[in-house]
Amino acid sequence: MTTLDSMDLEILRHKTTAAAEEMGLTLIRAARTIYVKEVADFAVAIGGLDGKAFAYPEALGVSAFVDLDLTTCLNAVGELEEGDVILSNSPYTNGGLSTHLPDLQLIKPYFHAGRIVAYGWTMAHTSDIGGGVPSSISPRFSELYQEGLQIPPVKLLARGAMDRSVLAIYLANCRSPETNLGDIKAMLAALDAGGKRIADIIAAHGVERLVAYQTRIAEYAAEKAAAIFARIPKGTHEFWDYLDHDFVSNVPVRFRCALTVDDTGLHLDFAGTDPQLLSAFNLPTAGLRSPYLTLRLLHMITSMDPSAPLNHGLLTGVSTTAPKGSIVNPEYPAACGVRHATAMRLIDLLSGVLHTADPGLVPAAGGGTVLPVVLADLDPVTGARRSMVIQSIVCGGGGRQGSDGVDGRESGLSNIRNSPIERTEDEAAVLVEHYGLRPDSGGPGRWRGGTGLVYTIRMLKEDCAVLARGLERFVFTPWGSAGGRSAPPCRVVLNIGTPQERDINRVDMLELRKGETITFMTPGGGGFGDPFDRSEDEVVHDVLRGLVTVEGARRDYGVVTTQDGEVDGEATARLRAARPARSMSGFDLGPVRNAWESVFDDASVRRINAALEALPATSRSRRKKAVYEQVIPSLSDDKPDLAAVLADPAGPRARLDAVLNDLEHGAPTR
Amino acid sequence: MSAPGHSPSWRIGIDVGGTFNDFVAVQNGTGKRFSYKEPSVPADPSLAVERGIAGLLAEASLAPGDIELVMHGTTLALNTILQLRGARLAMVVSRGNGDVLEIARSRMPSAFDFTARRERPLIPRHLVFELGARTRADGAVHARPEADELAVLAERIRAAKVDAVAVMLVNSYRHPALEREVTQALRTLLPDTRFTESAAIWPEIREYERGLLAALNAYVQPLMESYYERLETRMRGLGLHAPIFVTTNNGGTVSLASARERPIDTVLSGPAAGVVAALRVAPPALRDRLLTLDMGGTSTDMAVVIGGEPEYTNLAQIGAFPIILPVVAVTAIGAGGGSQVWLDAQGVLKIGPESVGSDPGPICYGRGGTHVAITDCYLAAGIIDPDAFLGGRMKLARAPAVDALAALGQRLGLAGDDVAQQAAAAALRVATAKMAVELSKLLARRGLDQRDFTLVCFGGAGATHATMLAEEAGLNTVLIPLAPGTFCALGASAADIRRDFARSIRAMLTPRGEGFEAVADAIADMKRDALAWIAEEAGAGAKLAFRLVADMRFGDQAYELEIAVPEASREAIDGAGLLALYHAEHERLYGFADRDGHVRVTTVRLSIAALNEHVVPEPPLPPRPVPVPGRRAVHHDGHWLDAALYRRADLPAGFVVTGPAVIEQFDTTIWVRPGWRGVVEQDGNLVLRRTG
Repeated sequence: MTTLDSMDLEILRHKTTAAAEEMGLTLIRAARTIYVKEVADFAVAIGGLDGKAFAYPEALGVSAFVDLDLTTCLNAVGELEEGDVILSNSPYTNGGLSTHLPDLQLIKPYFHAGRIVAYGWTMAHTSDIGGGVPSSISPRFSELYQEGLQIPPVKLLARGAMDRSVLAIYLANCRSPETNLGDIKAMLAALDAGGKRIADIIAAHGVERLVAYQTRIAEYAAEKAAAIFARIPKGTHEFWDYLDHDFVSNVPVRFRCALTVDDTGLHLDFAGTDPQLLSAFNLPTAGLRSPYLTLRLLHMITSMDPSAPLNHGLLTGVSTTAPKGSIVNPEYPAACGVRHATAMRLIDLLSGVLHTADPGLVPAAGGGTVLPVVLADLDPVTGARRSMVIQSIVCGGGGRQGSDGVDGRESGLSNIRNSPIERTEDEAAVLVEHYGLRPDSGGPGRWRGGTGLVYTIRMLKEDCAVLARGLERFVFTPWGSAGGRSAPPCRVVLNIGTPQERDINRVDMLELRKGETITFMTPGGGGFGDPFDRSEDEVVHDVLRGLVTVEGARRDYGVVTTQDGEVDGEATARLRAARPARSMSGFDLGPVRNAWESVFDDASVRRINAALEALPATSRSRRKKAVYEQVIPSLSDDKPDLAAVLADPAGPRARLDAVLNDLEHGAPTR
Repeated sequence: MSAPGHSPSWRIGIDVGGTFNDFVAVQNGTGKRFSYKEPSVPADPSLAVERGIAGLLAEASLAPGDIELVMHGTTLALNTILQLRGARLAMVVSRGNGDVLEIARSRMPSAFDFTARRERPLIPRHLVFELGARTRADGAVHARPEADELAVLAERIRAAKVDAVAVMLVNSYRHPALEREVTQALRTLLPDTRFTESAAIWPEIREYERGLLAALNAYVQPLMESYYERLETRMRGLGLHAPIFVTTNNGGTVSLASARERPIDTVLSGPAAGVVAALRVAPPALRDRLLTLDMGGTSTDMAVVIGGEPEYTNLAQIGAFPIILPVVAVTAIGAGGGSQVWLDAQGVLKIGPESVGSDPGPICYGRGGTHVAITDCYLAAGIIDPDAFLGGRMKLARAPAVDALAALGQRLGLAGDDVAQQAAAAALRVATAKMAVELSKLLARRGLDQRDFTLVCFGGAGATHATMLAEEAGLNTVLIPLAPGTFCALGASAADIRRDFARSIRAMLTPRGEGFEAVADAIADMKRDALAWIAEEAGAGAKLAFRLVADMRFGDQAYELEIAVPEASREAIDGAGLLALYHAEHERLYGFADRDGHVRVTTVRLSIAALNEHVVPEPPLPPRPVPVPGRRAVHHDGHWLDAALYRRADLPAGFVVTGPAVIEQFDTTIWVRPGWRGVVEQDGNLVLRRTG
């Protein structure tokens, strides 16, 4: 066993990280798909003999997959020879390495003197993998078969020679074969770049050092992580959070997690999470410690100790349990194209768990949704229907101990650039009339949640439609913590400021006439700490900058001021002395969630989900819908007003008891 | 020492830095040079320049009347932005776009750190005023402000008591009329306020970046104007009446009048000048592929030169602010002489990212610094002589640096008499590895192989670290110019007069090349502007050079390829010709070309230069006797080596230095590792090649 000294460890860390980064740079240079070029939806890493990443880029591509696991893929193809490359994309056969089909995965064993010493890995979101719609993703899909070609782990290259048959089948199933072939070539070039650097490292340091490094750097990471995890109090900490609906019904989707911290480490149990859905929000994790389940913990370490090396060792002390047949561990062939929304809510879920343990650890909930606004119109050249993403609108960040949330930006999952107004107007027949921070949208708090955004576009021609699928937090708003308030909900408004103005609480595809406007208002982040403890100066500063309105300052902060920042000291003192009677500690979960849970409390939902587990996974969601619609019949309406329906929870509550009884005794829902 | 010239045939190059100001005098025709260094005076930078010029003239025995031109580079504007101490600004934007500086491009500095904050906007939100003034993408005026609305706005601007106002209306990049009209109206209402129009600064699509450029221009303008005024006064005081030129981001130089009007063009000129100098001094055989390493006390910059031309980028940043102007592509890497050497909680040896700066600086500076830095490691290893730093003008304190390194070594578990040297060696190895991987990534981004490149090292520490870095990064050739410490000043003196122009247009080329009119118009328009400008700057008869580039993409793609039009076909280029160039480049990059697709041209760029024909190679070194080396003990690879010690000024042309060797000169110390062999070129440059 070769021992590594501290200097070797640091030098090899720089070199192996750079090797991974060179893979990423090679991929960017050679790839053609917009997902790689503009959105940076790709990843690269170098895995050790244990199939786990020991080298990961620090600022390239998707940051989420540090804890990836190649083992399932490696086992699936059997013995590997020099020059082999494994291709796969199907999450149910590659151990959750993919989480949806467009994410193509390539693995290449790196050899030295006839034996494997490491593995190169690269993932790229390719433009299209077939299936029911162009670019292969729709929330409406319920089965993987609709989402495109499924590729289990196979050898795309054997001993350096491309398997033409595999390639032919693959390309025959893509709408853009040339682009896809270009991406595969770029990924192969990336793998080669990594292999070349690994060979350089072996030449300079010896193969024993490289292999010893794989273990030692993980141990080092684990030591760093343990120092951070020690800040989480021991015990079991629970939280649950929601998606507004599953897209194919109005029934909310609940995620639940219990974090147990003891001397052996951290355990995350997702029991009590809703069953897998009939829409594409499922997140396949293969029952493993999937990177998305633990991402918030990873971010907690990297935020608190930026010197921590990025590798699987950071999560050495962490284990996970995700119930089979649930959204976070669905059974084949549940659709998973839009697992992004779920991954995003898992961040809020884990944040909530950590706040339950100690509110000082992480920020309150961020706005919790990302909205690609897509405009469909007729191509002026060809006359064909075309669609283009004209903007990605993000939210605000959550407030945290010692700092306001970030206004109008959030980097939780994707950290992509926006589209300038001028670019949008150059390419689409729209006028971007307003693109700004949304006043009063940050959850009030001693540390205010960051504001969301407002985005208004006017149609300059007929035959346009706007698609805004996946917009969230209309119902279950971003929560505040430690006495901080929840943020106002997301809104979408048609023809704002006109007599025809109306709110739309979900957007699928909306046909708009020339001259009409649509306005998106994304939520801000939740607040942290009692807003009445925020200093007058800070509130006035927000008013002057237009982030909090004069009414908001009075209502949310008890500060009476003019728009020019002249404070009425006496009135302020009076208001602040007579604080509203409300809980000034713990969470503020928002009005609708409170009403919802006055019927569907945690214990009842756990009973529902436990009872549903007795059914086959594919029928659970249908039965779940029936249960909820029986308790609240208006859920089957076009646009249920939950706040109004739940104003008196007694009726639904009584119905729930009856339905639960039926469910638990195996009776069909009436 | 040469006799002074009697006609004004000398140029002075100046590089104003944070710690030192560097000066070079170069004689036209002969290439004869003198250089000089003068400590900076932060409170009045022009004073240091005055002192430095006086010192340089004395050193070179020149009279003020011998000077034909003063070419000046300064980091003053850059530091003004980095330290956020520019003018108090307001901004006028179209209604609905008041948060343009808040939203920026919506990116956070890190995806791994939820404590990261976004940048502070250059102008606070309450000083960004919205106005009902808006043009559509097609040029139709969507909203035009009434006189009373403008009057109200003028009143608000007056009440805000600002020094300057940037005006940026949506779509002004292509349709600047409304922006100009509004600005003129405001100028009339507020005659004492300075206004900057975004389209006049840089008419490229993207409202945030364009508006920010206008704002940054206004932000540094008052300070730079008063600096230039003081500078001119001081120079006239010295009896120096030569015109002043100012170096620019693109490696060129412009007249003082242009620099006053567009200080934004000069903010990133410092590193660019070093690249220009590297191109000027590199022997023709090596000039094709250079990597420049400018390693100073607090920062290290690298740049790539391919095909004898510096590489340009429009993705430069100052802090968090994007600069979309063409800038010589320079990458800052995370290690310099001031980088801290430390151990983390797990006892792992780390270099940086914190720097001890120049004050208090490394421990050996003896100014109260307590953190070990890379410079302390050079000293402990014996590479630099504490009594010979800056020609002996600054004594270094060896003992405290060695003690601190010994303590660090013991914490690392090292032992022995040379524990301090072992710790220094470990730190230098880690720092070198860190620099080498940055270098390697720089080339990977471009798909190039480092073995073909020559490393050109300058700055105070570049030559010291040169062979360490080259060996680690797999480069076989190193070039150390005669005066590495004043290399950027030399670059300033050698710059061409140069300016860039751009037009964002709406042009879609059919597969047959139809639809070229908008491109042709943009080229003609820019050429007219460029020729008018250069006539003012360089007068008639200057030898001109152009560079034409078109940003192009398929109609359905979101990213562009930069297509450079060869100079030979520039005048005759048409739609079909441009398409052919595009498809060839696409084929080169991606292996195929879709010749049936429609191709968009989004931005056309033209660069014009009046070439500086006075630059000639340095004259050959005077004959010198073969030097007798001294000895220097240098700790290397666990042992004390007996290295040869030379003074650079003693080395004759053709002299061969074999490592291990140390070569001292006024402004740096060169460390030649074992396995390297250096040859002194005719012009005094030292070319080191790997032998082992």
